[in-house]
Amino acid sequence: MSDAENLQPPACSSENFARPVKMDKVTALAILGVLKKYHLKDTEELLKKEANIQDVDSSSEIGQSDSDVSNMLSVYKSEGDPQVYESAYVELKKFVEGALDIYKHELGMILYPVFVHMYLQLVYNRHEEQAIKFMERFGHDQDDYYQEDVVRLSHITKKNHMKGNELSETFRSNEFIIRISRDTLSILKRHLQEKKQSVLLNIVHERLYFDMYEGVVRNKQQIEATAGSMVGEATRQDNKTKVYYGLLKEPDIHHIPVEEEDEGEGDGDKPKKKKQRKDPLFSKKIKFDPNAPTWDRVPLPELKDTDKVEKIRALREASKRVTLGPDTLPSICFYTLLNSAQIVTCAEVAEDSSLLAVGFSDALIKVWTLVPQKLRAMKSADQLQDIDREAVDVLVRMMDDRSAEVSRTLYGHSGPVYRVTFSPDRNLLLSCSEDATVRLWSLLTWTALVCYKGHMYPVWDVKFSPHGYYFATAGHDKTARLWATDQHQPLRIFVGHFSDVDCINIHPNSNYVATGSSDRIVRLWDCTTGDPVRWMTGHKDPIYSLCFSVDGRFLASAGADCRVLVWDLAHGHLLAELTGHTGTIHTLAFSRDGHILASGSLDCTIKLWDFTQLSEEVLLEDFNISYSPDIKKNGSHLLRSYATKNSAVLALHFTRRNLLFGVGIYDS
Amino acid sequence: MNEADLYSTTFSPESIKVIAESIGIINLLDEAAKELADDVSYRIKLIIQDAAKFMHHGKRQKLTVEDVNQSLKVKNIEPIYGFVTRDFIPFRFASGGGRELHFVEEKEQDITELLSGPMLKLPLDVHVRAHWLCIEGVQPTIPENPPPISKDAQKLESIDPVSKLSKLAKEKESAGKPTIGKFHKLRNVETVHVKQLATHELSVEQQLYYKEITEACVGSDEGRRAEALQSLASDPGLHEMLPRMCTFIAEGVKVNVVQNNLALLIYLMRMVKALLDNQSLYLEKYVSAVVIQFARAPVQLHELLPAVATCIVSKQLCMRPELDNHWALRDFASRLMLQICKNFNTSTNNVQTRVTRMFCRFLHDDKMPLSSLYGSVQGLHCLSSGLTPVGLSELGPEVVKVFILPNVKHISERIEGATEGPVLNNIDRIAAGHIKILMTKVLSPVLRTLRQPPDYVEEYVSEYGSLGPHLHSAVVKARAQPAPTTTVPLTTPTTLRGPSSSILQQSAASSLLKPVHTLDTDHHVPDVSFISGSGPHQGRTIVVGSSVPSSRAMVAPNNPNKYVFVTSRPPTPNQVRFFCRGYLPWA
Repeated sequence: MSDAENLQPPACSSENFARPVKMDKVTALAILGVLKKYHLKDTEELLKKEANIQDVDSSSEIGQSDSDVSNMLSVYKSEGDPQVYESAYVELKKFVEGALDIYKHELGMILYPVFVHMYLQLVYNRHEEQAIKFMERFGHDQDDYYQEDVVRLSHITKKNHMKGNELSETFRSNEFIIRISRDTLSILKRHLQEKKQSVLLNIVHERLYFDMYEGVVRNKQQIEATAGSMVGEATRQDNKTKVYYGLLKEPDIHHIPVEEEDEGEGDGDKPKKKKQRKDPLFSKKIKFDPNAPTWDRVPLPELKDTDKVEKIRALREASKRVTLGPDTLPSICFYTLLNSAQIVTCAEVAEDSSLLAVGFSDALIKVWTLVPQKLRAMKSADQLQDIDREAVDVLVRMMDDRSAEVSRTLYGHSGPVYRVTFSPDRNLLLSCSEDATVRLWSLLTWTALVCYKGHMYPVWDVKFSPHGYYFATAGHDKTARLWATDQHQPLRIFVGHFSDVDCINIHPNSNYVATGSSDRIVRLWDCTTGDPVRWMTGHKDPIYSLCFSVDGRFLASAGADCRVLVWDLAHGHLLAELTGHTGTIHTLAFSRDGHILASGSLDCTIKLWDFTQLSEEVLLEDFNISYSPDIKKNGSHLLRSYATKNSAVLALHFTRRNLLFGVGIYDS
Repeated sequence: MNEADLYSTTFSPESIKVIAESIGIINLLDEAAKELADDVSYRIKLIIQDAAKFMHHGKRQKLTVEDVNQSLKVKNIEPIYGFVTRDFIPFRFASGGGRELHFVEEKEQDITELLSGPMLKLPLDVHVRAHWLCIEGVQPTIPENPPPISKDAQKLESIDPVSKLSKLAKEKESAGKPTIGKFHKLRNVETVHVKQLATHELSVEQQLYYKEITEACVGSDEGRRAEALQSLASDPGLHEMLPRMCTFIAEGVKVNVVQNNLALLIYLMRMVKALLDNQSLYLEKYVSAVVIQFARAPVQLHELLPAVATCIVSKQLCMRPELDNHWALRDFASRLMLQICKNFNTSTNNVQTRVTRMFCRFLHDDKMPLSSLYGSVQGLHCLSSGLTPVGLSELGPEVVKVFILPNVKHISERIEGATEGPVLNNIDRIAAGHIKILMTKVLSPVLRTLRQPPDYVEEYVSEYGSLGPHLHSAVVKARAQPAPTTTVPLTTPTTLRGPSSSILQQSAASSLLKPVHTLDTDHHVPDVSFISGSGPHQGRTIVVGSSVPSSRAMVAPNNPNKYVFVTSRPPTPNQVRFFCRGYLPWA
């Protein structure tokens, strides 16, 4: 079976995964054809059994799939005079510009997809000179946020370039989705019927998908806010599924023996104190959130005793935390990585702020301790046998004090390490790399434990689930995957992005995974079914960072377009656009109390945003799936901006007491 | 190149032909070359597009060779080995005979030379360092943090104080800096135009700091003074207090010149030096933008520059000119003047020219006291020897030749007047002695190169008056030195910073406080030695070293084209080799 999974072609298929397709016979046959082609007999037979397909004439299958591809391409075939395109486009443009002001902007949305398809048709029919002329004449007219794609499109000047090109394949195999009001659509239809431009009609009918809605025509700001993705906007249908964004009920941790307590801390009076005021700490009953998934929706690992002790410690520390707000801003402790310009690729701080892991472009991973306790390795097997296993401090005895060091290096990858992430119990570390593997490291023995192979191209991001055990990865092969640490195969493969999946994050309740991609779409996936449940457009450039709000309802995303966008997961609406950065934003973090959002960028600044104000404004408004709220734009949410001394900010992290850690590389 | 060109930039067919030739394909048809050029351009654009992804994920803003290699790897193309470098590899450009060529220069390195040479420095290891970027919302002004306001912003503020008002009102962007207090916005609705007032209020902490610093700087505790000066020289958050510091210094000099308080003047000059050394301050406004009007000794001027000038040429700087060593103060202030000129001279303010002119006038003026004369010679000497960035410096000795040499006779007459006049004045006598030493020191190297070997005392006397014999003996002595250096031995160390020089200043400054007991004319000024300490002219040697002959140009025949890429790679086999290396399950 493993072969079958790995065989998923990188440029994943021609189907539009936005609308899930039932696995019908044709699809099964097509897969069988591929299996046959690569001589994977076992898998083929298994699939035949499962799908109840008897012997099929393989040759006809292959023939069919081939013809499928040519069918796909032949859509562009037209005998038309190349000169027609230019005049048709000019006419369409005139029509849009001449339309009434209220309809103008909605109508304007069709210009870009029409332009792209016209250009591709010209190229496909080998009218290269006309194509280049067409591009030069109208390329600059397209909206700013499409310019990058227009430039990429202009690279395609020959028919044979089209095959295998990410952009042209995406356009070829997907309808461009345009959300449009009934009135505007009827105006457009009338115009098309009057003009009878066959070139234009073809494109509009076959290449565009109009998601019609009843109601007021949207204005320019509204349209621009959600425009910018590679394949248009999300249809309303895409975001209808209910998302259980609430938090899971905290497990019961009352009756845990706390006598043995924390190994390293050594302050003996704490446990006693704790017992006295245990009640206020735990009595805060969390009411069942109607939006929360049931606790067994995704099977989560059992809490071990050590986990519970850790949880208690976290809770105790949380009770000491500073409540942040516009008047009580956090302190920022900034860790500068010196002599590291151009070598360091990523950094991550452990949940309890005790460890810092840094990934390097020369395939190394270094872990520093940020607390006085040094990094110890476990004793050798022989020595471990001598330890009394019943001893109270067996965990401490296992470690070799002589090996204590401030930093340790992990060797194993063969390419740049793009992301590292700590497990919640800090015994494990995951890293992903250009060498297409994800590695699991033990922070007790300081060795590699598992090498997960599955991605076929560089893996850009990896993230441990907040409950441990699960982790998610995203990569250049346009897929995101969900794994469990004890399985060498992915549990789920999330396919549907049209370009690299650049970043990934797991919802605080571990039921959902969010991905951000170079196709400028943010998606939310359900871990249980593997289906996409939210599709959010509005970014104008690749997305490099995602962060869930503390209550699980909101998602913040940011990337190369220097803006932070805040989304409501309940309906998939864009809520706010936070502008101010001048460089790519690579990290986002919510304070532990959820009041402040921090963003760090390559422009060497850390900005703090007032999230309380924002979420309050949003919750006051009553909106639903079809009514989208006004997007908050003005800079009033910016609290402060802190410049570093020429250090690009790689990572941000709020400690349990709401102290903000920043990690940056100093470029002299 | 505008954007329209970007859409259709392609390799020229000529380039393809050259590349074809380099791998042994001679007669490539035009059509084939055109077709190939188009395709190659497309493929290369794709590769670069993907390479950019690797750059972004490496959190960089600069594309490196490794990025391109990784992008090749992703496309199943073998990367180009052996070209990995973190630095930018510049294309060298060569032209000749109507042809233009770009190529990568590969220098041949001699291994034996490398082996025998000094060991290369190991690269430094990555190191984590923590500091407070902000404390409860306020960014502390420590060296690890950037200065609260960038130099550009300081400049803008100093030119147009009102801009600060509007900026503050608009954005709270500048955040993290300590509160600068309120500002009053005078809005005038009537026709009268009132310029808005920008008040610069100092916080209590800043006021305390100012008080502490100024007290320490002019107080009696040498340890505290050192700390205060160190703070002035390195603290990034001083700009709010800068106007006050400058006023303090300027006023202090005015008062103390009148009161002839040498020690205080020295302290004040050391403050100037510390401020000049502070990298984060925008001092320009306070040193330049000055209308230079020189009256007699206590010079009435604007801010720092006049204060410094005062300390160089003032008639009297101490209570007992015959005892106190005010000469060293003049020397020190001269070097400060040099530093000011070096840092702030621009074509618009002409600080240097104006200062030079001022010194020259003093040389010519008969009524000038000898002490001022000394100061101006010292000042000119410093300026001429230390300046690098501007025109005069190139002709270091020339300045001496042009400005000082013609006046030598005049100066010697004055010295003569002082030493041999009917009324012997002790003060003048000492001054004359100092000038004599200084003149000898300044002039002898110049004269050595200017005059031809047979040196006759008579000639010197006739040309330079009473200074003649001294100069003569100095020149003869200089000639006798075994290894004459070709460069000007006059150069002062170009930088006055660094621990060693500051120690020297300390010792020099402290030695100033003791009255000089030896009164004979030949006595040595204590810190002369380090004025003349010659350092190599660093800037110039670098320039010479980097002019590189471009002889290794490879010119392709019959190609009057513009951009040609030449590589020396061996021909690659025709069929594309796939390498699977664990990416594919069956590999």
